[in-house]
Amino acid sequence: MPKQIPLVDTDIHERVQYQELLEYLDEPFKHYIQNCHWIQEKHMPYTQPSVAGVDRADAVIPDGRPAGSDLAFMQEQLLDDIGHEFGILTGALDPSPSSMHGWHEMAVALASAYNDWQIDKWLDKDERLYGSVHVAAQDRDEAVKEIERVGTHPKMVQVLLPIDDIMWGDPYYHPIFEAAEKHNLMIGMHHNEPPVYYGKWPRYFIEWHTLIPTAHMKQVTNMIFNGVFEKFPNLGMIMIEGGFTFIPHMMWKMDQQYRDLRHEVPWLKRKPSDVMKEHVRFCTQPSEELNKKDFMSLIEQMGTDEMICFATDYPHWDYDSPHRALPNLDPKLKKKIYFENAKNFYPKIPDTKER
Amino acid sequence: MKEQVVCKTTDIQPGEMMESYFGKQNVLICRTPDGEFYAFMNQCNHQGAPLHRGMICGATTDQSEPGEYHYCHKGEILRCPWHGREFDIKNEGRMLANPDKKIPSFNIRIEDEKVIVYK
Ligand code: FES
Repeated sequence: MPKQIPLVDTDIHERVQYQELLEYLDEPFKHYIQNCHWIQEKHMPYTQPSVAGVDRADAVIPDGRPAGSDLAFMQEQLLDDIGHEFGILTGALDPSPSSMHGWHEMAVALASAYNDWQIDKWLDKDERLYGSVHVAAQDRDEAVKEIERVGTHPKMVQVLLPIDDIMWGDPYYHPIFEAAEKHNLMIGMHHNEPPVYYGKWPRYFIEWHTLIPTAHMKQVTNMIFNGVFEKFPNLGMIMIEGGFTFIPHMMWKMDQQYRDLRHEVPWLKRKPSDVMKEHVRFCTQPSEELNKKDFMSLIEQMGTDEMICFATDYPHWDYDSPHRALPNLDPKLKKKIYFENAKNFYPKIPDTKER
Repeated sequence: MKEQVVCKTTDIQPGEMMESYFGKQNVLICRTPDGEFYAFMNQCNHQGAPLHRGMICGATTDQSEPGEYHYCHKGEILRCPWHGREFDIKNEGRMLANPDKKIPSFNIRIEDEKVIVYK
């Protein structure tokens, strides 16, 4: 990535340590973290079989705190080093209020505390960083209230919904989309721990990680056929950390199904691929190693070069380097993928940062 | 011939590694458990991660049957701090998953306590 091309990094994981949330939490919830050692439920049998688990081994904070937990270190290792124009914070999915199976009151409290912490410690501290509204979406009405409460913050650009075992296109969740649309917020979907094997987990992490795109495909299919984008024409959705090489397949498959079976979903007024082109964006990371010819052929199959947005996924182990992850593309296309596509997608991101 | 002392033998214990410089070139000096020294370019050939921030470990062998782990080559495998690719220190820095790819290496010799990289 030459220096003259600005970058909007669409996936940066800032991490909270639970102790930091205490000042933003009320009782009785504070007590459960402070004295009862509450931690977010986890489901998978494995850890990430890399050098240091979920994070890049070189992203641990020098004082031993976990990667992504310190703004100054993130500035040094990522934002200043690469020269980001903008970066979108997507949380570390821990806590992930919308992933909790029960105790939704705690989830609601955590979402608010997390948003306040995020605004305070990150969004208000670095002009390049933009944020995601965390909600406890299972409690739809509380989620709407939270969007109303913090969605107006000038640097909140999307509502984050984790991909686990809830399909978000269900009409029950539509008030969340209505609130997001009202505040010019997009929907960011990022997998947490989706059980990609018929509701369970495969034997090996490598299988699960290979199949993450299938979890993303399910959500896109679900949102489109449930008519979310017909109902909320100004809403957009970005699929974070699922990659992009499956896009042409999805477009062809959904269009063909639509031609045959539209009868079942009469509220869908347009070809699914047209809905995708207008409303859905995909982060490039984790990118497969494509050569330029294969990359360009994929773009041609998508029929548009405006659907994919570059993401690093910093500080995770499967980080994509802006300099090395994609083949050497023509400058005009590069500018779209690294900057313009994301910039055009998020209505609240300015043209350039104030200097 | 260009040569340079990059560290002392006592700077690196067997099974450990450190970064150094050979001229302007950032290099990685590895010492395997048998006491031998090796020098590589300190940059992963995948996306350029600084290899000294990874780890030296063993391999789960290529001889394994499904469901079997045989931990071997302990202290001879370099793993990248980012995507975890494994490189065989004693086999020219070749990547385990694709031995056609390797981390570029440098000549190295020991004189007294000096570890010398040369071209
Ligand atoms: S940069 Fe080393 S494995 Fe990717």
